[in-house]
Amino acid sequence: MAVSPVVVHTNDGGGGVVPSPLKPSSTSNGTPRLARPAAGGEAPAAPAPQQHLPMTLDLVEQMNEQEKKKYVKGKKLGEGTYANVYLGHARHDATVLVAIKKIKVQKDYKDGLAPDAVRELKHLQELRNHPNIINLLSVFSSKDQNLNLVLEYLPLGDLEMLIRDVDRVRYGAADIKAWMGMLTRAVWFCHDNYVLHRDIKPNNLLIAADGEVKLADFGLARSFADPGTRMTANVITRWYRPPELLFGARHYSGAVDVWSVGLVFAELVIRAPFLPGNTEVHQIELICQAIGTPTEENWPGVSQLKDYTVPAPPTPVAGKEAYMTRFGGVGAEGVDLLMKTLLLDPKKRITAREMLEHKWWRAEPRPTRKEDLPRKSGGEEKLADDLKRRPGVVEDEGSTARGGKVARKLDFGAAK
Amino acid sequence: MASEDARYRQSSQFRLWSFSRSELASLREKANALARASISERLSSTSSSSTTANKNNHDRSASTSNANTPDPEGSAGGASFRLPEFLTVAEEALMVTFYTSQLLGAGEAAGMSDEVCATAAAFFRRFYITNSIMTYPPQDMMFVALFFGCKAEGHFPRIGDFLNMGALSSIKKQPEEILAGEFLLCQGIRFAFDVKHPFRALIGAGMELRRLGGIPEDRIRAAESRAKQILRFSSLITDAYFHYTPSQIMLAALSHADRGLAERLIHNTFHLPTAPIKVESGADTPVDGVPKENNARKDRANEDKAAIIGQHIRDRVLGTIEACRDMLSHEMPERSREHWQTKEIYQDLVLPVKKKLKKCRDPDRSNLVALQRARREKALKKSGGSEDGGPDDRATAGTKGDDAGIFGGDLVQRDSKRRKVAPGQGPALDDPFGGPL
Repeated sequence: MAVSPVVVHTNDGGGGVVPSPLKPSSTSNGTPRLARPAAGGEAPAAPAPQQHLPMTLDLVEQMNEQEKKKYVKGKKLGEGTYANVYLGHARHDATVLVAIKKIKVQKDYKDGLAPDAVRELKHLQELRNHPNIINLLSVFSSKDQNLNLVLEYLPLGDLEMLIRDVDRVRYGAADIKAWMGMLTRAVWFCHDNYVLHRDIKPNNLLIAADGEVKLADFGLARSFADPGTRMTANVITRWYRPPELLFGARHYSGAVDVWSVGLVFAELVIRAPFLPGNTEVHQIELICQAIGTPTEENWPGVSQLKDYTVPAPPTPVAGKEAYMTRFGGVGAEGVDLLMKTLLLDPKKRITAREMLEHKWWRAEPRPTRKEDLPRKSGGEEKLADDLKRRPGVVEDEGSTARGGKVARKLDFGAAK
Repeated sequence: MASEDARYRQSSQFRLWSFSRSELASLREKANALARASISERLSSTSSSSTTANKNNHDRSASTSNANTPDPEGSAGGASFRLPEFLTVAEEALMVTFYTSQLLGAGEAAGMSDEVCATAAAFFRRFYITNSIMTYPPQDMMFVALFFGCKAEGHFPRIGDFLNMGALSSIKKQPEEILAGEFLLCQGIRFAFDVKHPFRALIGAGMELRRLGGIPEDRIRAAESRAKQILRFSSLITDAYFHYTPSQIMLAALSHADRGLAERLIHNTFHLPTAPIKVESGADTPVDGVPKENNARKDRANEDKAAIIGQHIRDRVLGTIEACRDMLSHEMPERSREHWQTKEIYQDLVLPVKKKLKKCRDPDRSNLVALQRARREKALKKSGGSEDGGPDDRATAGTKGDDAGIFGGDLVQRDSKRRKVAPGQGPALDDPFGGPL
């Protein structure tokens, strides 16, 4: 059963016209067959059971059909363990592009709707209308009861692609400031709404057609816990995981996200992961070496944490000099901000709000306007007119001025 | 000032699930009317149309056991068909309230947190705003709501563990019965999984009252504890969440517990003198060198503030809280034990409606497991079978066997044996709690 990526003519063929009592769910949308019941294949024919029962649509089903009808699903952009992403567009206007994230039925999770999907939906429903958070446009279910999240289409890849493409993408302090500004606003907005993201990293920072950075993937997010409620320490991709989580803290705050933001900042500057640990133990070692060993002196109470272990001779906390040599490109103010995000003690670490009030934003250089940020083209699935326009933008001065040749062809899809 | 009010208006609770009383009433009427219409249609088409229809219908419900058994009631179709009496909107409301009390009791007995129980109750009640009790079985959906309430609050119990939580083990539900309804619930609550509760607000109120000083600790504690009881029941079993914000609900509960304290809090909060704020704007005589617009800006800031916490708002707030208080007073916490859980109430109020319900419920949807299987099969047909979803769609009864294995044939069999409800209307699957045979 090859999963032929399908164009969903959800309802235009038949049932859609009227919520007809007959077979509302009989329209063909070619959705891939479901893993589980498919087991025996479509076996021998026999007298029909269910299909001829008149099944009218409930109010809710009608609403679902309406939502579904608003979009047309196109080709598959990417496939993940948790979801497949399709390009789509609004039915009424084919130029309005969307990404349709179809949550997979997970083989190893037998307990209904998977946690990632529950978390992602829960939080995206509430964090609407912020320019730096991916916008959830709609949710609907397809016939096989798969969830489809309709998200805004972000065609220009993610921050990781830009960071890694050292040969073809050049950027400077003003660009970093612009990206960091957008990231910080997104994180502030989450925290201001009592949500911890818990997976901030460059490839969760997607880039919109206009250059705007959008925080995505809320599959690990959760609401702030009440004091005393334990949370899992096993969150955030290792390289971006703060020391308190590595030490097994079960009570933590927005400071965990701020640490990740700091590491994204560092990575933007040096264009490589700052602390790429191979294991959790290695991760702690790297933190101790580069930032300093967490001790009772610089972090009262740290030794009480369940998994607190640090390599033997403690390394003193790195001073500004050390940071300046590596990160001086963003100026003294930038380094000051970076250091505050990387304070070992989460209680002393700067908050997202304080970050926004930092002097660096107002120091020279001014952040680049988002339209002028370096970018790479968004892959082969671009629409024809986009293709026509893009090389002009990309290969010309706009980016050559920055010394960048930008890839015309991309290996992976834009949305995740 | 991006006020909390403004933020609340962005929440799904406000956007999707807050209504005026008349809106709410009309939604419920609509759901009831829609259910009547579609159930009528289904019942009449199954019983009055050709034998094929009867045959099909029979096959459906008997599917896994033995599809070839002749239908004992099949002959009853045709002319003798009469529509049942449907539940009224009021009767539906009674059932939703009754099952909400059951849900809260079950959640508590299973040792779930206040947030989980409250979220589950909110899901359950939201679901039955656009769905009729006659369409989907409340005695199943209440457990589905509890299960999904856990998930929405960030706990992800395995379904087996869930069914073993404390008192839940006595309900004898199969995992399939819960899972089959999960997606349905999610759809019914419009995929809005975040429910805002007044519990934290109450903690804040306690802190605020202590900060004010001069109030005996005993009094505060007593008020907190009573208010919390109210928030764990009264606000969840009434329509309070549909009409009021969490903080309003908290204040109403606090006012039940100790009116004086609630009013003190309100008076302290909405304290800014209103109207001409000359006094505050720098006392008319601008200091030299302070540009005028600075004052103007201050004025504006004060006006903004006054719009939120000015004295003139106070009366409105007090009025709202009084109305909410009134709503809660119909279902004080004692009603849980002294009313809803008593035999008399069950016998006199609930049972008659349940009996009525058995005759008028949706023949296609009262069994969630069978329903989900039907829907999935349909989806399968489409992808695997004919492109246009045409008549060939019927076919593939062979999957019946597979499904029985996957979804628990045993279960379905049990149900099909029990069926025998409305004579003449074809077999209907029975209430899992339902009567003896």
